[in-house]
Amino acid sequence: MSIKLENVTKTYFTGEVETHAVKNVDLEIKDGEFIVLLGPSGSGKSTMLNIISGLDTPTSGKISIDEEIISDMNSKQLTKFRRDNLGFIFQQYNLLQTLSVSENVEVGREVSLLPFTVEEVLEQVDLIPQINKYPFQLSGGEQQRVSIARAVVKNPKIMFCDEPTGALDEVMAKEVLGILQKLNEKYKTSVVLITHNPNIGAMADRIIKLNSGEVVEVIENKNKLKASEISWG
Amino acid sequence: MLFRNVLRTLKKQYIQLLLLGVIITLSSFIYTTMDYGVGGILVPTEEYFEVSNQEDFAISMLDMILEDDGIFIASNCALTSEVHTLSGLKNIDSACYYDLIENRLNIIENEYDDINIELRENKDVYFNFDETSYKVRFLKATSEINLSYFVEGNAPATDSEIAISEAFGKSNDLDVGDTLDINGKDYTISGYVLFPDYSLALFSANLIIDNKSQSLGLLTDQEFENLNENIGFEIAGDLTNGTTEDEFEENVINDFRDNDNLPFVTNIVLTVNNMRSGAIYAELEGGEAMGLGLSLIIASIAILIVGIMVSKVLVSQRGAIGILKSMGYSNRQITIPYIFFIAILSFPAIVLGYFFGSFAAQPMSDLYKMIYLLPSSAVEHSFDTFIVAVIVPFLFLLVVSYFIIKRILNQKPVELLNPQMVSSTNFLAKKMGKFLKKLKITSKMKHLLLYRNMVKFLVFVIGMFFAAFLILFSFSMLDIFDKLTVDYYNNTNHNYIGYCDIELPCDNPTGTQEKVIELPSVILGDEEVYLVGLESDSLIHKLVDTKDNEITNKLDDGLVITKSLSLIKGFKVGDSLLLEIGDEHVLIDVMAITEEYSGNKVYMSREELGDIFVDSTEYYNVIYSETELNEDNFMMIISTEKIMEQSEVMQGLFETVFLIMIVVSVIIGAIVVYILTVMTIEDNFYNISLFKVIGYNNKEIDKMILGGYLVYGIIIFLITIPIALAAFYGLTAIFAQYYELVFPFDFEIWHAGVSTTMFIIIFYTGAFVAKRHLNRISLQEAMKMYQV
Ligand SMILES: Nc1ncnc2c1ncn2[C@@H]1O[C@H](COP(=O)(O)OP(=O)(O)OP(=O)(O)O)[C@@H](O)[C@H]1O
Ligand SMILES: [Mg+2]
Repeated sequence: MSIKLENVTKTYFTGEVETHAVKNVDLEIKDGEFIVLLGPSGSGKSTMLNIISGLDTPTSGKISIDEEIISDMNSKQLTKFRRDNLGFIFQQYNLLQTLSVSENVEVGREVSLLPFTVEEVLEQVDLIPQINKYPFQLSGGEQQRVSIARAVVKNPKIMFCDEPTGALDEVMAKEVLGILQKLNEKYKTSVVLITHNPNIGAMADRIIKLNSGEVVEVIENKNKLKASEISWG
Repeated sequence: MLFRNVLRTLKKQYIQLLLLGVIITLSSFIYTTMDYGVGGILVPTEEYFEVSNQEDFAISMLDMILEDDGIFIASNCALTSEVHTLSGLKNIDSACYYDLIENRLNIIENEYDDINIELRENKDVYFNFDETSYKVRFLKATSEINLSYFVEGNAPATDSEIAISEAFGKSNDLDVGDTLDINGKDYTISGYVLFPDYSLALFSANLIIDNKSQSLGLLTDQEFENLNENIGFEIAGDLTNGTTEDEFEENVINDFRDNDNLPFVTNIVLTVNNMRSGAIYAELEGGEAMGLGLSLIIASIAILIVGIMVSKVLVSQRGAIGILKSMGYSNRQITIPYIFFIAILSFPAIVLGYFFGSFAAQPMSDLYKMIYLLPSSAVEHSFDTFIVAVIVPFLFLLVVSYFIIKRILNQKPVELLNPQMVSSTNFLAKKMGKFLKKLKITSKMKHLLLYRNMVKFLVFVIGMFFAAFLILFSFSMLDIFDKLTVDYYNNTNHNYIGYCDIELPCDNPTGTQEKVIELPSVILGDEEVYLVGLESDSLIHKLVDTKDNEITNKLDDGLVITKSLSLIKGFKVGDSLLLEIGDEHVLIDVMAITEEYSGNKVYMSREELGDIFVDSTEYYNVIYSETELNEDNFMMIISTEKIMEQSEVMQGLFETVFLIMIVVSVIIGAIVVYILTVMTIEDNFYNISLFKVIGYNNKEIDKMILGGYLVYGIIIFLITIPIALAAFYGLTAIFAQYYELVFPFDFEIWHAGVSTTMFIIIFYTGAFVAKRHLNRISLQEAMKMYQV
């Protein structure tokens, strides 16, 4: 699926203060493309991701995915769209506290059209031993992997990842990135990935740099590396 | 800064807090109204009885002249004709009558120490005015006991002046200074008078208490003597030298029947056991028990619920408290703002309820004066009530809040910062786990959300239980006043009751008329009961049991008693009751119980009663009739329509009390359901948002989040029914046995239907409001805001 942003702006008003979290962004993400969003903290990466994925609405501008205009959809249509097409991995792990690891993943699987099996995905993120634990019984990295598994199991058309490797060590981070890369290559899943680690850009088709809500640089990456080949930090 | 944080947090939940405030206000309101409504009467009443020196006991004497009296008369008076009664004697030789009375009083005083007695004379005058018949009982002024008490105006100074009851005057538009025509003589009303031996205008053969057609009256002594009516008398008595009622009961009441020197004494009754003078004591005690008991139940449930809700609000502050703790704030610094705001919010609500309550108490206590003859008075604030209505619930809330915060603070900061432990190991979760394994995750979710967080689930369960209880409770009170009053007359077909004159023979009943024997004070154990002899094939007074079966023919085999008598005394079908009918003591079995919730009444077959009472199966002293009766042939005729009118006045008080209870408990119940629903949905804001992000649609989310709570809510409502029922039976029994008050709490299937429907409607309203609130914020913000 291809995503198109036209002159998208998001402004937050807090009292007297206006924050332009995203400013006049024009951008196109092609079907099956692997995009890495880079930028300093507060530069508007998460905001942009949220807007693209319909979790939040832009103050102005237009967002379309394939032929569908996301920014015009009502919440019911958005829900349907997310259910059928999108996967999310959040900066915060956002797990359901009352559900076990496998149940959390099951929640993602339940609503998808062509899901993977829960075991298959948990195997990939190395969580089989933790399968019956609850989120509070997991380490931060393990929680992040559950959140990844929950998104992956959906086998979505587009995967949005906000700092998916922030809490992981190098080995595990590369493992997770490998899964995303495999999804991208094998199933033509588009991936939009936010990170603070510029090295991860090496596995992307394009790197988009944000600063103060504006796209400041777009880098085409001709020489894509495998996740395992990335040099870390 | 900490204060601001707490304020902001509470502000987010201002609607819930406001509604909690309403509950608090209502609970202190209901208690205050009931307490002052009853208490507002109690204090001035006691003062009035004190200053007017209410009798401690009353002695009834035979009007008949007995052998000893005859001897006394023979040696002290010079009578020209023969007399058989004291009242007859008074008509021909007043001085001799007073000497004889004096002699009787002396005999009594010689028998018993520590009493002071005085004659109390009365004359009953019937008169008609504007086609309505009225009755005045004139009491002759006394000098020591039962002094006349003037609420307005003065005692009659001339023979053409009269003092009447205020209630009679007010309900007939008669002010002080107006004239009242009694059988052709005009009297000027000199004042409104009260007599402490009549706190009820109760002096008919039957138990009619009606201040519109009956009054007590005072004339000058001279004018009193001028009245042609027969004299009636009793002896009023005071206990002296610190004698207690118990001692008097033991030494005098239990003795006089066997005392050969007192053949003329027919009865001695302590004021507390005497309807006309002492019923107010029982009423106030009963009113206090009922009003305070029920209102305390409601108020305590309300405060308990508020406690639960406050704890829910506080528990949701775990994270915030954890952060503050980790930064190094002391427990005290963290606690104070919470306690401060809880105090600030709850205190005005409680005080507001207290003030509303004390205002509402005045009209309620005024209602008493439509029934009882008592001085009016303004409700006065009492410190005790203030403590119970304001200070106790206030401290309770503060203490509960304090302990919850303390409990939270006792945990380590890390525990607080992490989401609250999920109790996957609790019994319910384990049990249900197996069963749930097979379900789809969406169906599973519904239950897991509940079981895996036991604390929240328990709050929900307990809160809903109380709410359901209150709602059912209020429904169960709906029918009480009808049951206590008009139901009886609606079930019977007679429209007129004619009381035969002792001297004139009663009409023989014709057509739809039936013979009845009514004996108002038959002794059963240590209690007086109203014995009614009824035809066992009666067509116009059928007896019906609580299951609507006709039981009139059971009279052929024994007694039928009222439900109230059975509740109060604990009599059951099959018990044998010992009745003192005239001189006879008879033991008869109870065969059935009628659905009558008022009156200590016992029914038996008229023929059998006549046989026992006067050795005649033909005897009767009352006629029940469908058609109008001829006034000339009866001492008095009452239409049941009129009785119903009168009892409506009497029941006004009851109705008000119950209406307050019903409304307050329904409102509290409804608010609780609403708040719990909103809080529950808010607890799930994060889950809802996350499900939305993953792609679940609203219908699926509703099924998962709301579905469980709805199902369990309904289950709780249904489970509450039998528990509530048992509680109602228990309360009925307690009130009946300890306070001789009967509350026919009633449960009907539609109560369950309506309350469950109410629950569902409020639940969906709450859910709608909460979800609308959530829909107003964007998903990603909601996820950050409600992150657990
Ligand atoms: N709900 C909000 N209201 C007001 N301002 C907001 C809101 N959400 C984000 N912002 C502001 O928008 C800007 C962009 O925030 P965003 O979360 O997109 O940053 P980010 O690039 O993801 O940063 P990080 O790398 O730290 O996650 C920030 O300055 C932030 O303060
Ligand atoms: Mg971010």
